[in-house]
Amino acid sequence: MTTQQKVVFEKVTKLFQRKGEDLEVLRDIDLSVAQGEFVCLLGPSGCGKSTLLNIAGGFERPTSGRVLIDGESVLGPDSRRVFVFQEYGIFPWASVWDNVALGLRQLSKDEQQRIVSQVIELVGLKGFESTYPQELSGGMKQRVEVARALAVDPDVIFMDEPFGALDSLTRLSLRSELIRIWHESGKTILFVTHDVDESIQLAQRIVVFTDRPGCIREIVPVPMEHPRDLGSPEYGQIKNRLYDLLGVSHQV
Amino acid sequence: MNYWPLYVSLMALAVVGTARWQSARQQSVLLPMAISCFLVVLWELACRWTQSRIFPTPGQTWAGLLELIESNRLWGDIAASLFRVTWGFVLAVAVGIPLGLVVGWSTRTFRALNPIIQGLRPISPIAWIPIAILWFGIGDGAGIFLIFLSSFFPITVGTMAAVRNISLVHQRSAMNFGLSGLELFRRVVLPAALPQIITSLRIALGVAWLVIVAAEMVGMDSGLGYLINDARNAGSRYDLVVATMLVIGMIGIVLDLLIRRLERFDEVRWGYATR
Repeated sequence: MTTQQKVVFEKVTKLFQRKGEDLEVLRDIDLSVAQGEFVCLLGPSGCGKSTLLNIAGGFERPTSGRVLIDGESVLGPDSRRVFVFQEYGIFPWASVWDNVALGLRQLSKDEQQRIVSQVIELVGLKGFESTYPQELSGGMKQRVEVARALAVDPDVIFMDEPFGALDSLTRLSLRSELIRIWHESGKTILFVTHDVDESIQLAQRIVVFTDRPGCIREIVPVPMEHPRDLGSPEYGQIKNRLYDLLGVSHQV
Repeated sequence: MNYWPLYVSLMALAVVGTARWQSARQQSVLLPMAISCFLVVLWELACRWTQSRIFPTPGQTWAGLLELIESNRLWGDIAASLFRVTWGFVLAVAVGIPLGLVVGWSTRTFRALNPIIQGLRPISPIAWIPIAILWFGIGDGAGIFLIFLSSFFPITVGTMAAVRNISLVHQRSAMNFGLSGLELFRRVVLPAALPQIITSLRIALGVAWLVIVAAEMVGMDSGLGYLINDARNAGSRYDLVVATMLVIGMIGIVLDLLIRRLERFDEVRWGYATR
């Protein structure tokens, strides 16, 4: 059986100009992500993994190489593939409802009503439709952002450390909800994180990056079914493997 | 000898002394009132010690204020000043906010127009008075033009800065969901900039209220500024001068309170620190 390739990176290299000098952030990234796959990009801070996601999202251009989605070169942002930001990308001046409806402007009022209430229910924000983001906790804001992304029924969701600013308990519960939503919707998800545990809990495959300039060190598969047992020996083995690849010791 | 300053001071001291039993709301009313009482007492004592015959005492100023109110002169001058400020300010809002949004958003327009705006901005509106009179004559037209100038720059520059401060994440969100053109302005650029725009409106209205008095002193024949000049020229009526100054201050407070109500809307409250 051949799985269909959704997102393909071909020799993506990115240089930044800093004080007149070239800074190589990414070097020759080759990666394909299958339709419906959940892939984590894992690496130390500053390794270029977020830059790679921004290139895939169409917000930045690669210096050389290209990104193909469904066989077409990415030339700019597109609402068929939605980005979920680390610092909240939802609009503080709009209510939860208006934020979630942002991408549905072309639809009729009835249709908007149907979709918005459905995704708000899905992320567990029922009853908060007319609330403004300011009055929500960090975790709830991030749910609004996920709901806004799901509302447009995108093919691909890019998530740039979406739970990075949250406390560890909220992170854990949002991860299991994300997995539930992923199972229900079958979206392709690229998820950037520097958290080893987060990547093992979420991904089918983990792409481990080296320090700058970011290259792919290895791609580690996680052959575990959800819900995953965080105490299982298999989990521990993958964790050790990732720590080895990242060059960190196992003991503190 | 009249001992009222002593009694007033004691009452004000009692208010300040019991401050810890007052609620926050009471404090923010009672404490400024008590301090104002001390200032009035200082003013009275200064008049007694210096035995000035020109500078009015608080009592004389109060009498002057009553005289202005009874003569019906005051209302006409307040109306004249407010009329000029309102129209000049409304015109400046109508031109300044759209211009600031466009210049702030489009980098090319910003490069083209920003140096010109920054070059005209430091010219005091007062310096424009001769030209205002040349173009519009003595009267409302010149006043409205000067208020327009003095509010236009704070509003335009404030709006420009607000737009250029819109966070990258919000810009990218807008791009991601395909917003463009007028919709982009209505749904993202304007609401994102609104809290800072309201702050610039506040500053602009404050400046407008300063400038109208100066303009009326020099180049107009009505309004509160003219009233001050007239009271001095018609027999050194300094009691009327100071009474008018106090009226100007009061109206300034009311204008600021009115414009601050804009900060309370749900759409902009996120933009202000809560303290």
